[in-house]
Amino acid sequence: MKRGDSWLGVLPFVALVAAWWVASHSGRFSAGALPRPESVLAAARELASTGELQADVLASLGRLVLGAGASVLLGAGLGILAGLNRFLGDLLLPLASFFSAVSGIAWIPLAIMWFGLGTVAVTFVIWNSIFFLVFFNTVLGVRSVPRIMEQAVRTLGGGHRVLVLQVFLPGALPYIVSGIRTGLGFGWRALIAAELIAATSGLGFLIFDASHYFRTDRILVGIGGIGILWTLMDGAILGPLERRTVKRWGTVAEP
Amino acid sequence: MSARSQPGPALLARERPAGVGPGPGPTLPASLRALVRSSLPFLLLLAVWWAATTALHPRATVLPSPAAAARAAGPLIAEGILPDYATASLKRIAFGGGLAIALGVPAGLLLGSNRLLSVAFTPFLKFFQSLSGIAWLPMVLVWFGFTERTIQVVILYTALFPIVFNTMTGLRTVPPRLADGLRALGAGRWRLVTDVWLPGALPSIIVGIRLGIAYGWRALIAGEMVVGAGGIGFLLFQSRSFQQTARIIDGMVVIGLLWIFLDAGFLRPLERYTVERWGLVQR
Repeated sequence: MKRGDSWLGVLPFVALVAAWWVASHSGRFSAGALPRPESVLAAARELASTGELQADVLASLGRLVLGAGASVLLGAGLGILAGLNRFLGDLLLPLASFFSAVSGIAWIPLAIMWFGLGTVAVTFVIWNSIFFLVFFNTVLGVRSVPRIMEQAVRTLGGGHRVLVLQVFLPGALPYIVSGIRTGLGFGWRALIAAELIAATSGLGFLIFDASHYFRTDRILVGIGGIGILWTLMDGAILGPLERRTVKRWGTVAEP
Repeated sequence: MSARSQPGPALLARERPAGVGPGPGPTLPASLRALVRSSLPFLLLLAVWWAATTALHPRATVLPSPAAAARAAGPLIAEGILPDYATASLKRIAFGGGLAIALGVPAGLLLGSNRLLSVAFTPFLKFFQSLSGIAWLPMVLVWFGFTERTIQVVILYTALFPIVFNTMTGLRTVPPRLADGLRALGAGRWRLVTDVWLPGALPSIIVGIRLGIAYGWRALIAGEMVVGAGGIGFLLFQSRSFQQTARIIDGMVVIGLLWIFLDAGFLRPLERYTVERWGLVQR
């Protein structure tokens, strides 16, 4: 990227908002079908002044952190175990790939039956959509670590703890991080879907609740919030995480 | 990573040459043995599930036994509900996904053909990709109502952005020296497109298509739950309303099987065929 390129990225957004402004002021669409940009801003201010918007953002973020944290810890931990043991790995990999095919949204009805409507059901759905991907990638990552590194550390007297912490975990890290990234992509979408169907707070619920009253201005506030939140997370957490972990510990395989 | 898994089977074959099996019994053919080995984990899961339901006796609405889930599948198939809904879902993903590919690949190629265009559109595409089609669902409902078109729009939207984005990045990551080399040898513009740009971008295009269809499939399930115009997602949601957990589980198994069918029957062959045929493998 060259200098002065960064402002270029703003142009498509400006063009879209301009087109939206023109279309919504043309009188061809009702305010219900296509609210004006300024009324969406007003709705955002209104939701923020009552604290509703902040509460929903925090609810969504909390569920994501909880679900993603649990699935990353469990997925990477169990994945390392299954990766070290060939029998266990062979046994669990087909199951993991089947369950990642059904993961996330398809579990919403069952999650409601088990946990009722609310945070637990939503968090379970997020956990579910990330866990299998992280697990699957961790097993592949551990298996991709060259045997010779393990043998070298063993020869130098390294025990199990050293092997896991200094060989297998760093070696599998690029896989784990890419599993987390893909998983979060699915988890984020599952979160919104689960909140739409099975929650009474959060950005997904904000959107769904607004649709009952045909408040399309509020729907667009929620949609915008989802996009902005993800962009912030991606820029502040995921990107740096990937760069730092892979650079710091990654044994990047040379082709 | 495939390099490490290769020695396994080869070693086995050397240790046990054909005809010198461990026992006198007939040996299973290799394909059947692979089938048994890959179905073993699922049989084990079934056994755990069965043991859990017989030991703990959970209510049928919480966790029905495997036998109850199998029994519930009978009428679903006999009444034609399951085949109808599965066909409806597959048709939707085929139409929405096909349209997303037909629109997304050319759009991505167009944006990727120019450096400034691709720089300008990167944040835009990322932003709208993160806004899953599911988030748009209530808005689309206002526009199109509880109809087939609503589901189609949601699938199309969800699948489109990963395809456009990955096609664009794929084109941008083709090393320019390859094009320079061919140009120096006197190749024309069209030749560059078919021999360098398209094959170079292909792996990334396929990744985009896989991701787009995978997101689209999940959006389809969610859309069917909310819109309620038939489909596997609708089956799941309806069964929840009637507390028929056995039917929910049947629906989930079908979702998993359909995805494996889509993946093994369409996405993987597409990947193998195109990348092998035209792919430009880089060293």
